[in-house]
Amino acid sequence: MSQEIAVVGSPEFTTGFRLAGVRKFEDVPDDEKPDQLDDAVEQAMADDDVGIVVMRNDDLDHLSRGIREEAQTSVDPVLVTLGGGAGGGGLRDQIKRAIGIDLMAEDEDDGSD
Amino acid sequence: MAEDVKPTRKNLMEIEDRIELSERGHDTLEQKRDGLIMEFMDILDQAQDVRSELEADYERAQDRINKARAMEGDVAVRGAAAALEEYPELTTQSKNIMGVVVPQIDSSKVKKNIDERGYGLLGSSARIDEAADAYEELIESIILAAEVETAMKKMLDEIETTKRRVNALEFKLLPELRENQEYIEQKLMEQEREEIFRLKKIKAKKEAEEDEEETVEVESEEEETPERVSADD
Repeated sequence: MSQEIAVVGSPEFTTGFRLAGVRKFEDVPDDEKPDQLDDAVEQAMADDDVGIVVMRNDDLDHLSRGIREEAQTSVDPVLVTLGGGAGGGGLRDQIKRAIGIDLMAEDEDDGSD
Repeated sequence: MAEDVKPTRKNLMEIEDRIELSERGHDTLEQKRDGLIMEFMDILDQAQDVRSELEADYERAQDRINKARAMEGDVAVRGAAAALEEYPELTTQSKNIMGVVVPQIDSSKVKKNIDERGYGLLGSSARIDEAADAYEELIESIILAAEVETAMKKMLDEIETTKRRVNALEFKLLPELRENQEYIEQKLMEQEREEIFRLKKIKAKKEAEEDEEETVEVESEEEETPERVSADD
């Protein structure tokens, strides 16, 4: 079964992806994000035809805790966040929990040296 | 709890078998956990490269679309975006890394020629084309990042599960089994000591009875002997 990419965010964020042909998108203006972003993300995550959900990393702060955790740990569809550096998508916390060491922090420190 | 088991030899043998099996399972799971962590470290290196490329592609794409907006206007960019008909398709296959099924995402129709974009050659500008190109490259990076990050999430889940199992065996099941084994061994030794003590008691009692019988016999014999002497006299 073939799947598609969905983009959730402000109209400025989604327009570029639409130029590349992405047809599943949820436009949520910046001032309506606290109220509407949860529903938009839930809708994108619930769509069986969507394999990847793309969001800005900063927009995760507008999500409620439950939806954010669900999105960050979801595997189908998988959430890819942009603009959040190496530790995006809640992976850093999961690595700390599973391995016991903050591997991302170590690499970031190495990079800054 | 150790007091819950019956202190019998059968139970002791069963517990010894379970300890052996649990120790073997513990070693195997530890090896699996270490193997998974090594595989994960390889994927982590790859993921960090993919992430940095993704962030660079995102910055470039944003820069291009901002220029297109500035030069052509937001309405023209939105108009071009709305005209597109071909959309990127993803097909997912799977591969197995140490028992963890991770996805392999193949994509089609991501990179398109100008004539495939739907907004026409005359209806757009080079700036919009460049922005579309940059976003198509970004989508390719996103697909790669999705594949690697999903693999990482799945491997982390498996590492967590394996770690929990190793800890449960090491800190819960095996100590309980060893406690039970010790309890049964102590109880059996106690029973053995009681048995030896009982046997010694019985033996001592029997010996005392035999001594008593012998004394009685000797006494009766002694009583009989003077009578005979008196008869002879």
